[in-house]
Amino acid sequence: MTTTTDGIAARYGSGQTLRRVEDPALLQGQGRFTDDHVLPGQLVLAFVRSSTAHGRITGIDLDAARATPGVVAVYTGADLVAAGVKPIPTAPSFKRPDGQPMAAPPKRALAHEVLRYVGEPVVAIVADSRAAARAAADAVFVHTEDLPVNVDPVRALLPGAPVLWEGAPDNISAEMCHGDAAAAEAAFARAAHRVSLELVNQRLAPAPMEPRSVLAWMDGERLTMRLSSQMPTGVRAGLVDAMPGLTTDNTRVVVGDVGGGFGMKTGIYPEDIAVGWIARTLGRPVKWQAERLEDFTSAVHGRDVISRAELALDAQGKVLAMRVRSVANVGAYPSTTAAAIQLLIGPWVATSVYDIPVIDFRFTAVLTNTAPTGAYRGAGRPEAIYITERLMDAAAREMKIDGSALRRRNMIRPEQMPYTNAMAQVYDSGRFEQILDQGLQLADWHGYAARQAESRARGRLRGRGIATFLEWTGGNVFEERVTVDVTADGFIEIGSATQAMGQGIATSYVQLAVDVFGVPPERVRIVQGDTDRLNGFGSAGSRSLFTGGSSVRVAAQRTVDKGKALAADALEAPVADIEYREGRFTVAGTDLGIELGALAGRQPGGHLFVDSTSSVGGPTWPNGCHVCEVEVDPATGVVEIVAYASVNDIGRVVSPAIVRGQIDGGAVQGIGQALCERIVYDRDTGQLLSASFMDYALPHADGFRGFKTAFDTSIPCLNNPMGVKGVGELGTIGATPAVVNAVVDALAGPGGLGRDAEKVQMPLTSEVVWRALQRRDFGPPVFEQPV
Amino acid sequence: MTPVSLTINGQPATTEVEPQTLLVELIRGPLGLTGTHVGCDTSQCGACTVLLDGRAVKSCSVLAVQAAGRSVTTIEGLAKDGQLHPVQDAFMACHGLQCGFCTPGMVMTAVCLLQQQKSPSAEQIAHALEGNLCRCTGYVNIVESVQLAAKSMAEVKA
Repeated sequence: MTTTTDGIAARYGSGQTLRRVEDPALLQGQGRFTDDHVLPGQLVLAFVRSSTAHGRITGIDLDAARATPGVVAVYTGADLVAAGVKPIPTAPSFKRPDGQPMAAPPKRALAHEVLRYVGEPVVAIVADSRAAARAAADAVFVHTEDLPVNVDPVRALLPGAPVLWEGAPDNISAEMCHGDAAAAEAAFARAAHRVSLELVNQRLAPAPMEPRSVLAWMDGERLTMRLSSQMPTGVRAGLVDAMPGLTTDNTRVVVGDVGGGFGMKTGIYPEDIAVGWIARTLGRPVKWQAERLEDFTSAVHGRDVISRAELALDAQGKVLAMRVRSVANVGAYPSTTAAAIQLLIGPWVATSVYDIPVIDFRFTAVLTNTAPTGAYRGAGRPEAIYITERLMDAAAREMKIDGSALRRRNMIRPEQMPYTNAMAQVYDSGRFEQILDQGLQLADWHGYAARQAESRARGRLRGRGIATFLEWTGGNVFEERVTVDVTADGFIEIGSATQAMGQGIATSYVQLAVDVFGVPPERVRIVQGDTDRLNGFGSAGSRSLFTGGSSVRVAAQRTVDKGKALAADALEAPVADIEYREGRFTVAGTDLGIELGALAGRQPGGHLFVDSTSSVGGPTWPNGCHVCEVEVDPATGVVEIVAYASVNDIGRVVSPAIVRGQIDGGAVQGIGQALCERIVYDRDTGQLLSASFMDYALPHADGFRGFKTAFDTSIPCLNNPMGVKGVGELGTIGATPAVVNAVVDALAGPGGLGRDAEKVQMPLTSEVVWRALQRRDFGPPVFEQPV
Repeated sequence: MTPVSLTINGQPATTEVEPQTLLVELIRGPLGLTGTHVGCDTSQCGACTVLLDGRAVKSCSVLAVQAAGRSVTTIEGLAKDGQLHPVQDAFMACHGLQCGFCTPGMVMTAVCLLQQQKSPSAEQIAHALEGNLCRCTGYVNIVESVQLAAKSMAEVKA
């Protein structure tokens, strides 16, 4: 792979901080988010949603809704079933303990016969205005026969628990065991030290600032959907699968600006199918803009895993085995993705940067009367790493040694690369001790005692937490198609099926193109979000740069190579003599040459077009050392983060400001889980109690902002030609355990709670911390019975 | 329907609204200015922040009729003669935005703050932005952007 090292690429190419190409429009109100589009004759759709968590539909009063002025049509689940609209399927990849395929009630565009969570869409109203659609929705009455409600995954497994669906009489959707239970049992039997923790990874709302939004219309015989999604092709596949008469040829999905995704906008939603089907049935444009309440109740949630986790260590602190029993609440209508996140993706990284030879994992995905869970930034990995890093601190406390020293003793060494972990995952690269050393230095780990004494003098409990960790990125889809279109005016348009959602991927792609073409960045345009042009997996799992970006680079190089051949013809010289530099082909040693644009203009159609498909060799394993210090006010329980230092190995860096923004912004989401965020359902009624930004605490601007963030770029990923590693989720994964470990350390300190401090559960609000400190109250037991 | 006349980004406009129409609905609908966003239903997120007679307000919490006879500035009205407002420019320079959905509200709140306070501290900026939610940036670069904007506005005045 050649890279020009001349002036333009050196100034604007990868490694440089560029002003983002996305920003001028977004900063002047010229962004084009889905709801900014209005079509002539557009109707507005409103959903009537279930107000009961579990009930059988006995009747729906629609007369008042139909009589509301402005209402055009009213549809129920029965209407869609009659029209042959199919439920969203699950793939047969996962199994129940009895060997049957994963169990999930049919997830329909509109509920049919049974309601299973508060917020489930039941009726769709289409009207000529939003006000009319809302008024009509308020006039609908859904009669139900109440069924017993359960929102608790542990209770769901007890004999006699309410059954959510006849396909799973034990409420188990799927289960997976990994490792060697007998070997683990033997390791625990001979271990010098054993630690055990009960840990809750509470349910979270991804909460991108732009709620879901869909606009559907017929373009002739073709259904066209404009929506806010990370995966346009996946949405198209979901539409085609659900609706009779749709094919990939007569269905088009278009995505413009996306106001944040964080995993919540991957895959198809029931509402997407309803909007599309209705637009097609009526032959008129239909818009649905989710209210924030609707996103809280019916967009996917993340996390929600309860675990008992144990480590067995020898006398020197070497981990002999790790045992985890987890119950994951995957909600009422789990997707294959939801199962994969908890049963597979989390376990892949559970042994993390440590050489842990024996594992014994059992992960059980359980149905409850709650919204489905799905991907949320990290998706399985934050849960797994939280467990591992809490265990490492507990073990260090048990052995009375420094937490960083215990971690160091267990780290995989560089000479063990490529390293195959106990889940058969192969790490291509990583120098974890090198990252640890830098992290400790950046955080002034060894100067901590003085800071702790100073805090104590002010009546504050100071604590210090560390997380050394890695994660897997990629979605395990490694092929990407890229188009390059050079026009006679010298502009280069690059098409990719990865999807922008605020992460600045267009800017990074421009920089990669500048590396190869050596033209100013304003000559490169990035096109995404149209299934008529390009299709692929989309953007999820921190894959865009290392898969999509690698393919952009390959496509750009192929374009230059093709240009050289064409220039050889044009200049009547051997190809071997053609050189390319900064937008111009020349014959070596002469002043004979042709501009890239001029060459393109001479081609059929007046442009030079390259359609390029390429693959990377495997996933990436970004990793880091995050260190947090907190102060706790014992009188109020308020936790304040006072220092946060992180060293991150994300391989080679393309856009420095963007990756720093990903790490710090991601860390604040991880801090949100540690300190303030929690989705809460009422245990008896299944009502969602945290259904607005008044009740669900997103981090605000007055939180911690003083991140010391560093990168070690000396350890390239060996699985892709650029040597980059995914960065989108790393900060979120590292922050949660680093912060919680710091709070536990503060609470366990002199005169504090000792080992009991390990019983606190996230989010560590002032109330949780105060109750723990002042009342020895750690909340209800995590498990009602052994699992 | 009630007629409403107001000044929008320096231009007079007259339109008819329902009594319950919110200012943000007027701005995004009849006035066609979609840079002002709606991110919640409870006045928490601040994505809809505009200037009403120079003061930052959440336009989801103001009735359209209350804007009658008054001057409204939205994100589209900040740049003058093709020159970005210093706050817009600073957000670009400091990578103060990612997805850009909260950004118009953040920028309008910051513009209001800097009219009232020429060189606010980081803490004062964070406090002023309390009513604006961002899920992408962690606020780190947003606060830096406002600090840079304050500096460059002071230099222009000097």
